[in-house]
Amino acid sequence: MAKDIPIEGITYQQLAIKKMPLSESYVPRDETLIPSGNRTVVMNPCRTCMPFGAMFAGLGMHRGIPFVQGAQGCTTYVRYTFCRIFQEPASIANASFHEDAAVFGGRKNFKHGLRNLVVRYKPDVITVVTTCSSEIIGDDMVSFIKEARKLLVKELGEEEGNRVKLVLVNTPSFAGSHVAGYDRAAKAFLETLAKDRSTTNNKVNIIPGMLMPGDIREIKHMLAEMGIEAHILFDISDVFDTPLMPPQIMPYYPEGGTRVADVEDMGNSLATFALCRNEGGLGARYLEQKFEIPAFVGPLPIGVKYTDLFLQRLSQVTGREVPPSLKKERGRLLDFMADTLHHTMMKKAAVFGDPDIVTGITRFVCELGMEPVAVMSGTATKTFTEDIEEIVSEFGAKPLILNGSDLFEFEEALKEMPVEVIIGNSKGVDISKELGVPLVRAGLFVYDRVGYYKRPIIGYRGGERFLADLVNAILDYGYPGARTEQL
Amino acid sequence: MSMLKETSGCVMPLRVPFLDAARAEHGTLKNIAVPVLPACDRRTVPGVLSQRACAYYGARWFLAPLKDVVHLVHGPISCAYYGETVRKKKYTVFSTDITEYEVIFGGEGKLLGTLIELAHRFPGYRAVLVYVTCAPGIIGDDVQRACRQAEQATGMRCVPVNCPGFVGPSQAAGHEIGARVLLDHFIGRNDDVVPGPYDVNILGEYDVMGDLKVIRSLLARVGINVVSAVTGDVSVDSLARAHRVQLNVVHCRRTGGLIAEEMKRKYGVPFIKGSFFGITETNNALRRLGEWFNLREAAEAVIAAGEASVSREIERFRRELAGKRVGLFFGGSRIGSMLKGYRELGLEVLVAGSQFGGQEDYQAAWQDVKPGTALVDDVNEEELIRFIRQYRPDVIAGGTREKWTAHKLGVPFTVFPQESGPYAGYSGFLNFARDILAVLKAPVWQMI
Repeated sequence: MAKDIPIEGITYQQLAIKKMPLSESYVPRDETLIPSGNRTVVMNPCRTCMPFGAMFAGLGMHRGIPFVQGAQGCTTYVRYTFCRIFQEPASIANASFHEDAAVFGGRKNFKHGLRNLVVRYKPDVITVVTTCSSEIIGDDMVSFIKEARKLLVKELGEEEGNRVKLVLVNTPSFAGSHVAGYDRAAKAFLETLAKDRSTTNNKVNIIPGMLMPGDIREIKHMLAEMGIEAHILFDISDVFDTPLMPPQIMPYYPEGGTRVADVEDMGNSLATFALCRNEGGLGARYLEQKFEIPAFVGPLPIGVKYTDLFLQRLSQVTGREVPPSLKKERGRLLDFMADTLHHTMMKKAAVFGDPDIVTGITRFVCELGMEPVAVMSGTATKTFTEDIEEIVSEFGAKPLILNGSDLFEFEEALKEMPVEVIIGNSKGVDISKELGVPLVRAGLFVYDRVGYYKRPIIGYRGGERFLADLVNAILDYGYPGARTEQL
Repeated sequence: MSMLKETSGCVMPLRVPFLDAARAEHGTLKNIAVPVLPACDRRTVPGVLSQRACAYYGARWFLAPLKDVVHLVHGPISCAYYGETVRKKKYTVFSTDITEYEVIFGGEGKLLGTLIELAHRFPGYRAVLVYVTCAPGIIGDDVQRACRQAEQATGMRCVPVNCPGFVGPSQAAGHEIGARVLLDHFIGRNDDVVPGPYDVNILGEYDVMGDLKVIRSLLARVGINVVSAVTGDVSVDSLARAHRVQLNVVHCRRTGGLIAEEMKRKYGVPFIKGSFFGITETNNALRRLGEWFNLREAAEAVIAAGEASVSREIERFRRELAGKRVGLFFGGSRIGSMLKGYRELGLEVLVAGSQFGGQEDYQAAWQDVKPGTALVDDVNEEELIRFIRQYRPDVIAGGTREKWTAHKLGVPFTVFPQESGPYAGYSGFLNFARDILAVLKAPVWQMI
C-alpha cells in the first residue's frame, strides 16, 4: 500500500484501506449459486437442531437433567457444544438407540433409561427430549412416560417414584432450529408445571431465551435495582458459570437453575416478559391465554431504546419507578457513545446469528451511527424481515436482509459490499479471515474465545461492554499503526 | 460376576469399586495371572450418561480429512452443523437439510437434486461422500440409487456412507463404516504407479496438532517415505495408489487394523504394528521399520539422535512426575500404547478405560499395567466422579467432556486428543510430559 496520497482533495473514501483482495486461491463463485433460494444444498449452516434448544432449557432447571430419546450422537454433539461454549460439565442422559430401537421402537430404552437415571441421579425434573429418529419411528412418548412412571412407583415407592417431574418436549429436528426447540420447551414446561392458585405473587416472569450467564446476571441486577422480584425460567446463570468449590455431596449438581416450585408459581405472576420473541414467546402467550397474565414478547433489551422499553414496561406493570442508579447507568452508556462516536459513525457493519439477538444488535449499531449493510438470521422467522426493516428505516439504512439463509450466502454478499466489522458468533471466523475484517463475537455459539459468556451484552452495562469490544476491534484492524498510539 | 473371589487362600476383590453394580462386568482389576478382560463392544446401558457417540460421529471423525471430496450430509441440518468441527479443525460441510416434507414424501429426490447441483457447480472435486444419518436411514431413502443416478447423469463419483446414528454400540461402528468406504471406493484405483523401495502407509494416524508432521520427518530421516496417512493426510489420488507401497504401518488398531488386513488380503501388502507415542515405543517402531527395510544403521542413528535431544529434559520431568497417580479415560484402542507413555514417565496408572476399545485393546493394556490397576469399558459420568472421590488421583487424562467435571472436583486434567502440540516422536513426548507437569503444577489447585 505504498501509494502516494494526493495532497489536495482527498476524501475519507480514498483513505479507506481496501479490504477486498482475497486469498490467492479464491475463485469467484457461480452467481446463480449464491442465493439460498436458488439451490437445494445448504453450505455453512448458521442454525442447529431443535433438541439443542430443549436441552439448553432443560439444563436451566435446578437438579434438572434432559433425557434424549435418540441415538448417542444426539447427546454427545450437544454436550460437546455446551462444553466448548461454557467450559462447564453438561449432564445429559441418552436412551442409547441401537438398531433394535430403530426397528422395534424405543419403549424399552426409555423405560429402563429413565429408571436408571432417576435411581442414580435423583433429579427434580427430567426434560424428555425427542429427536428425529424417535419422532419418525413414532414413539408414543405420552404412554411411554406413563409406563415409566409406573415402573418408578413400583421400584421406588409412591412418594419417591412420583417426586421427579417429567416434562415432554417434542423436538423432531427436521421441523425447526434450536430457536424453536427452546420456544417449545418454554411452553411445555409451563403447560406441564404452572398452576393457578388465583393469588397474585407480585412477581414478574422472565423467559430470557438462550442468553449467556452474564446476561442473566445483568437482568437480575436491573430487577434488583428496580426492587422487583421475578421468576426466571431456565436460569442458566449458575449452571453454566459455576464456582470451583469441590462439592461434598453426590451426585454433582450445580447450585443454580430454576426451581420446580418457581415454575409452578409462574401462573400467578403480574406479567411475563419473553425477552426473545422466538425463544420463549410461545410460553408467554400460553400464560396469557391460560391464566390471563399479560405477555410482553420481545424485543431483547440491547442498546438504549430497547433497554428503556424493557424498564418502562417493568415500571408500568409493577408501578415501581426506574431508580436513579439505572438512570445513571444509562447516562454512562450515552456518555460512552458520545465519546466514541468518531470511531463508530458511518462505519459499515454486518450482523448474523439467531433472529432476536440480531434484531437487538442491529438496533444498537444503528443507535451508534453505524450502517448495517447485511443482516442475517440463521433461522427463518415470520417477523424478522419486518422487524429489521422497521429499525433501519428509522435510521435511513438499507441493508441486505437474509431471513433464514446460510453463511455461504452471507459471505458472498459481503464480498460484494465491503464492511468494516462483522458481528456474530464463532462460525464467522472463516469469513472474517477471508475478508480481513474483524469479527466481534456475539450470540450463542461463541466457543473460540474465553470468558465471553461471563459478560453481558444486554442492558446499559452490557451495551458499554459491547461498545468497547466493537470499537477496540475496529481500532485493532482499521487504523494504520501510527494512529493506534492515541485516541 | 460375584463381588469377591477366592484365589489361593486370600480374598481378592475382583470388582472395580467405582463401577456401577449393573455394569460390574465392564471392569476388571488386574489381580491374577489369567486375564479377565472387561466386557466391551456391548450396547450402552441407557440413561447412565455414557460418553459414547454415534456411528455418524465416528464416520465423520474418520473421513473428515479426505481431500478433493465434497462431504454432503444427508439429514437434518444439525448433523452437518455439528460435523463441521472434527478433531478441533473446521471443515466445510454441505447438507441436504431434510425437512418435514422430505420425511413424509421421501428425501431421495432432494438428494439427487443436490448431488447434481454439487457436481455441476463444483467440477473441481473428484467425488461426493453422502453421509446417511438417522432420519433418511429410518424413512428408507434409497441413497444407493440416488448416487447411481447422479453418477450416470454427471460423471461425478457419488459414494454413500451408510452411518445412521443408531448403528452399532458406539462411534467405533462409524470408524469401521468409514474404513469400508475407503477400501471399497478409493483404495487401489490406480495401478499405474510403481512403488518406491521405501514407500509406506500409516494406518490409523489422525494428525492431531501436527503429529503426522513429526512422524513423517522421523521416517524421512531413516529414509522411509510416507505415501498416505489414513486418515490424517489423504486425498483421492494418494488413496488410489495406496496399495502400491512396500508396507503398511498400523498405528491405531481399531481403525487401521481393518484396512491393513483387507489390503493384505486384496493386494498382498504386508503390515506391521507400531506406535510413535513414547520414547521406547518410538524406538521400537523405528527399529522394526529399519529391520524390515534393511535400514538398521539409519534407524539407529535417528534413535540415538532423538534420545540424545530429549534425554536431559525427560529426566527432569521424570523426577518431578515420578509416583504421581493418574487415571486414563481414552476414546479407543490406543490405550495399550498410551499407557506405556505414562509408565515411562514414572506415573502410576490407577485405571485405564476406554469408550469403545475392543478385546484386543484390553488384552494389550492388560499386559502393561501393574497388579491392582483397573481396566474399565465405557465409563460414565457418575463413575468418573466416584473414581475421583475414591482414588483421589493427582491427574486425569481423557476427553473434552470429562475435563470440566474433573475440574469441578478440583482434579487437574489433560485432554486427549491433545490441544497444544504434537505428542508423537521424541520432541512430542517432551510436549506430553510438559503438559502433564503444567496442569499438575498450576498454582490454582493449591488455592481451592
